[in-house]
Formats: sequence, C-alpha cells, structure tokens
Amino acid sequence: MLAYYMVLALRSLQRTPILSALMVAAIAVGVGAAMTTLTLNYMMSRNALAHKDDVLYAVQLDSWGPDESAEGPYQMPDQLSYRDAKALLRSDIPQRQVAMHRWGATLTRENSEQSPLQAEIRVSTRDFFPLFDIPFLYGNRWEQSADESPARQVVLSQAMNERLFNGDNSVGQPVNLNGEVFTVIGVLKHWNPSPKVYDLINGAFKDSEALYIPFGLHHQLQIYTWGNYDAWWNEIPKNYQDFLNSHLVWTQYWVELKDAEQKKAYEHFLTAYIKQQKAEGLYPRPLKFRLSRPSEWLRVNEVLADDDRMLGWLALAFLLVCVINATALLLVKFLRKAPEMGIRRALGASRNAVFSQHLIESGCIGLLGGIGGILLAIVGLARLRQLQMGSLDQIASMDWVMMSAAIVLALIASILAGLYPAWRISHSSSSAYLKTQ
Amino acid sequence: MLELRPILSALWRHKVSALLIALQLGLTLAVISNAAVIVQERIQQVTRPTGVAVADIVTAHIAPVAKDYDLLQAFRLDLAMIRALPEVVAATVSRAPLTGSGSSSGVQAEPNREVGATPAAIFMVDEHFIDALGMQLVAGRTFAAEEIGEASETTSWRSNTVIITQQLADKFFANTQALGKAIYFSGEDNPMEVVGIVARNLGPWPNSTRAGNAIFLPILMDTQKHDFIVRAAPGQRDGLVKLLEEKLAERDSERVITVKTLEEQKNRYYAGDNTLITMLSGVVGLLTFIVALGIIGLTVFWVAQRQKQIGVRRALGANRSTICRYFLLENLMIATTGISFGVAAAQIFNHFLVSAFNQPPLPPATVASCALALVLISLVAALIPSLRAANISPATVTRSL
Repeated sequence: MLAYYMVLALRSLQRTPILSALMVAAIAVGVGAAMTTLTLNYMMSRNALAHKDDVLYAVQLDSWGPDESAEGPYQMPDQLSYRDAKALLRSDIPQRQVAMHRWGATLTRENSEQSPLQAEIRVSTRDFFPLFDIPFLYGNRWEQSADESPARQVVLSQAMNERLFNGDNSVGQPVNLNGEVFTVIGVLKHWNPSPKVYDLINGAFKDSEALYIPFGLHHQLQIYTWGNYDAWWNEIPKNYQDFLNSHLVWTQYWVELKDAEQKKAYEHFLTAYIKQQKAEGLYPRPLKFRLSRPSEWLRVNEVLADDDRMLGWLALAFLLVCVINATALLLVKFLRKAPEMGIRRALGASRNAVFSQHLIESGCIGLLGGIGGILLAIVGLARLRQLQMGSLDQIASMDWVMMSAAIVLALIASILAGLYPAWRISHSSSSAYLKTQ
Repeated sequence: MLELRPILSALWRHKVSALLIALQLGLTLAVISNAAVIVQERIQQVTRPTGVAVADIVTAHIAPVAKDYDLLQAFRLDLAMIRALPEVVAATVSRAPLTGSGSSSGVQAEPNREVGATPAAIFMVDEHFIDALGMQLVAGRTFAAEEIGEASETTSWRSNTVIITQQLADKFFANTQALGKAIYFSGEDNPMEVVGIVARNLGPWPNSTRAGNAIFLPILMDTQKHDFIVRAAPGQRDGLVKLLEEKLAERDSERVITVKTLEEQKNRYYAGDNTLITMLSGVVGLLTFIVALGIIGLTVFWVAQRQKQIGVRRALGANRSTICRYFLLENLMIATTGISFGVAAAQIFNHFLVSAFNQPPLPPATVASCALALVLISLVAALIPSLRAANISPATVTRSL
C-alpha cells in the first residue's frame, strides 16, 4: 500500500510541477537555513573531553587585586601566575596535572632545503598527553625531570612530522627552535579537538600546536608567553627571574581527580595554599578558587557565542514560516484534486486511506526538500567558512549525524505541513464534487 | 468600498488559507524586522571610521632564526631600508591596530589612584607613527627622534611624554585643554605629559568597550610582538607586499618574514560580524522571496477556482480594473491582518533577542518600514495573478454555463 501511495504521490507531484517545485523549494530553503546554523551550533557545542568530563578540572585561583574583580569566568582570572603554577605542581594529590601555555618559535633544520618557518608551540608539563588522552604515533613523552630542569626535547604533531620528515619515524632527529638544537622524542597521532577545549583563552577554534616542549625550559630559553596575559597592577619585572615570580597570570592549569574524595582533598590543598599566600600578604581578595569540568569550562568561556545561538533561533523561525508556506500550498494543491477525491471516495476509499495517501504525498515532498536542504546547507556552510576566513574550517562542516538530522527535520516539517491539508481533503464532502462532474 | 462585503464573504470561505498567508506575513515581519535592525547595527559597527589609513597599510613581521639576534638593530636597519623605498610614505615599528591583539592598561588623570581606571590600548611607537598609520594630529606635536627610549620586556619602560586620542582627551579633560596635562598609569605617580592629540584610533579591539581609548608612548621595544607598519603611496599597497617580502629577505635572509595588509587583518577581526551581516541579509531575502511565492501560489489558485464567477461578473459589465482591484483588495486585507499580528510578534521576538542574546532593541521606524515593504511585496505578488484574472474573457467562461 505504501509503495502504491508513493507512486500516486510522485504522479501527483508531476501533474503540478510548478506548485510541487515551490513546495519542495520552501522546505529545502527552510531546512537548509536551519541546518546551516544548527550544524554550526552543534559543532561549536562539542566537547572533545566528554569521556573524561567527571575527572578533569580547569583550575582558577582568585589572585586578583583588592579593588576590582578580574574579568574572567566567575569573576576570577582564567589563568594562573607561573609562580602559583609551580607551587601547585608540588601537590601529589591529583592523578595528573598540567601547567602549560602558548608559545612559538622559528623552526629550522640543519642541512635542510626547507625554508625556516614559524611554529606554534605548547610549553607544558609531561602529563599533558595522558591527561587529555593524546595518542602517540612514535616515541614517547619526556621524563619527569624535564618538567623541572631543562631538557631540549620536543614532541611533534603528526602534521608537523609529515611536513618535516615525510611522516617517517623522526624520534632522535634534531630540529632547531630559535637557533637551539632540540631532539625529537615523540610524534603524536592526529589530534585536533575543536573547540580547543584545553585552551579556550587564545582562540577557541584554533588548531592544536605543531610542537610540544617541556615546562622546565623557561629559565634557559627565557620564554615569554605568546598567549593572553593579564595583571591587576602594572608590575614591571626587572629581569627574567622577576618576571617568573611576578603576579602576571599566563599559565593554564588542569588537574585530573579520580573521585570525590580526591577532589575534596585537592580543594583542601587549594584552600591551604591560598591561606598561606594571604599570610605572606598576597591574594588580597576573599578566598576563592574554582574547579571547572570541561563542559562547564566550554560554557563559561562562551564558546557558543550569543550571535550563534541567536542565528539558530532565527533559522528555526525561518523554518516555521517555510512550513506554514508549504501548508498553504499543499492545501491549494489538495483542494484542486477534490473532484478526483470525490470519485475515489464514492468508489469506496475510506477517509483514512485518503488521509494517509495525502500525508505520504507530503512526506515525499519533505524527502525531496530534505535532500535539497542538505545541498543548500553544504553551500551555506561553505559560504560560512569563506566568510570566517579560515577560522571555522573545522567547525563549519556536516557530519552524518547532521545529514540524518536534516532528513528527519525535513520529514517532520513536511508532515506537519501536510496534516491539516490531508485532514481537510479527507473530510470534504464528496457528493458536492460529484455533482459538478 | 462597496466591494468589501463580497470580498469578506469570499474570504470567509477560504479562511484557513487566508489565515495561513496572514500568519506567514506576520512571522516574516517579526523575523525580518529583527534581522534588519541587527544588520543595520553591525554594518554601522564595521564601517565606522577607524582613524587610520587601513587601505594603504601593510604590516611586516620578522622572526629571526639565530638565537642571539639583535632585534633592535634589525628594526633600525630594516626601517631605514623601508623608508628609502619610493613606494613608501612612512614606516614605524609597533603593534598594528584593528587586529584583535595588543595590550591595554588602566589609565588615570590623577596620580596614585587605584580604582575607576579608564582602560586604554597602549602603543609603543617611534617618531614616524602618525604618518605611518595615516592618523590626523589635531593638537600639539608628534614625538621627536631623541625622545624615543629603548626597552625590552624585562626593562622598565615608563615615559614622560604621551600622545593620546581625542576620545581619551575628552574623557579626562572634558572642557579644558588636554595639552600639557599629565596622565598616569593606574596606581602610579609617574606623570606622562600629553604632548599631542590624534583625532581617532580604534585600537586593537574595535568591538570592545575600550575601543577608541589609546595612548602612544615614545618607546622602541625589543620584542617579537612588534611589526613594521608601513604606509604605501596610494595604489602601491599590493605591490608593496611583494616588495617588502623581497627586500626584507634581501637584507637578512635568516628570518621568517610575514607580510600582510592591514585590510585583511581588519576583515579577519570583523569576520564574525561580516558573517552575521551576510547570513541575516540572506535570511531576509529568502524569507521575503518564499512569502511572495506563497502569495502568488494562493492567488493563482483562487483565480483559477473563481474563473466562472469572474466570467459572469465580466459578462454583467464589470471591467478589467474592477476584477484586478478585487483581488488586490482581497490581498491587502489579508496582508493588513498579518502585518498587525506581525508588529506584535516582532516586539515579542525582539524582547527575547534583547534579553537572551544582547541584541539591539527594535525601533518602531524599522518595524514600520519593514511592514510597508512587506505590504508592497505582497501586493506585487498578488498583481501578477490578478492581471491574469482580469484577462479572463467573459465569452470563454460563460460558454460552458
């Protein structure tokens, strides 16, 4: 029966090609607009650390000045000072912990034809890789000692390894960063979460870094962060050591706490730490810190901006207008066939049969509209990538979930649009039409 | 006017279709008037004057390969080379505005004050910066060459003189002459004498509340964060991008050289706003189009359905314009119903957008002009089938009676 109704539906669509095309177009445009913005919202809401959401925490300490609160999430700075980070690293409570920041350097290789390039680098403690679940292709991370004392070792991203070494196992190979020789000790497998949940402060949709170096190198290389930094008073350091000891915040800090007990212990530790700082005359504000799960961290850093959410709502309103439009057109189309229905009813077709036949016809329009909608959404997303000048390349693309969502949305939209017209035609009096024949 | 009653009774027979069209028009008005006001606001934001010669400026960044590189020396030699190029009007080394990255600090009009600081962007520049950025000096003087100090990230870099934007001067010294007065970094007592005022500079973050507050300090900074800011002679910009890449590499090839136009960086900064403008304009256009198609579809159907009646009316003496007017009036009544519903819906929708997503409030003028536009569009859409109705010949239709 279903197959027969579908044949009937297609035949009926062919009979009024312009009207049918209008309806398919209305659904396609509505679904296309909705899916473009919904895809964007959906991709921006992803959490690459969802599987560790109940054990990972971003750490914030309120080290700000007495007069005004910081502008970060929860009115606290979103990063720690290097000094605080070094102090927290001494705790043995967390399973794992990471202090890190953004950096960059000029990368060259001896006896290489490749021209020098500027590379994005993450300076981090060694737990970075297991804490964020980053798989290695070759080699391994650095030893514990490298987080304390300088070791010129580097871990490459898969893409950088391909660029420099054609994807070969490069462990043991030298590369130069700002003229200093480093040894490759590991190569990561492809890993590029977007939104970049582990560093939302320096661009939530930036690519992962190309190189990773140990946290123990600051003194030797005089590393200044390439990321955001902030301070509540204009402290001017006199030398590099002074800079490291300053109250400037530029270090990001994450911990992995396996259960509530460990979390509680860590909270006690942080409270004690801040109290001790207060005793030394620092931390003038009321005692405050915050441990945020990855999902919370994404939310409070407003990765999904107001503009994006608003676009989502507008697109749904748009789809609603398209559905109403399709309803009006379907009503016209079905009522045009009323005389024919009169005959079918007279020949014994039940109201239900007429109703379901017309609903299936609307569904067919929805299916065609859904396919059109996917194509339009793909065009819309391509335009979006172009408008964003490359900054949303990873975000503005449809995966199969969104493709199926598009079809489902189109079917729901068209069936909603078809409900009233189908009911109307199945309940119109057939005798009136028969008389005029 | 006599036609209103027959139109109403005819409409009553098609009340659902008529209501659907009215509903569509109303919702469309709600969506497009809100979209229009957002687009308007963003266009204003993106196109407002920046205070600098965006179209002529090129920035160049150098990242040395060697480990003990004398960056200050390189800055000096490169600048001398760049300034000698015939395509170049002026050049300086600093951080370019409008790029989304820079530094800012709290500034006060009185010493030793901690609270209530005005956040301002800080630019460290040499004596050529006004020319290089194409800014306008409205009072005082620019820096002298001997005034320019040297500093690095770990040396003290306070200065005794400063140049500020007009906006900041107005804020600090409302009705008085700002020249010769001193400003201070928040909580400090080191006075910086205002020696010059530039008309405008939006600073690194044009979308932030601190946009337009900027101070310029006479300091040559030893940092890789600084770029050469080069203003090209009119029409020479694109050529200069290539030329700078070549010339900088020629002077010292052991560094990574990145040359960009300021226009591209500004567009990148505004990418989100430009995306919103384009997407919303697209929504407005498509929605209007869809609604127009819906009206055409429905009017065509009504005309087809009432062919016989039209024929009879024509045979009884109604002329073409009467028939045409009938359908237009009918459409106008539907549109008015829809629009009045839409005006209310637009306000409700706007209330939601303002409170939930920080969007601008909807002025009545915008709703009114969108409503007028929609009524006109719906009339034009109805005109096409109405004209066809008017052309129905009484003879062909009445023949079958």
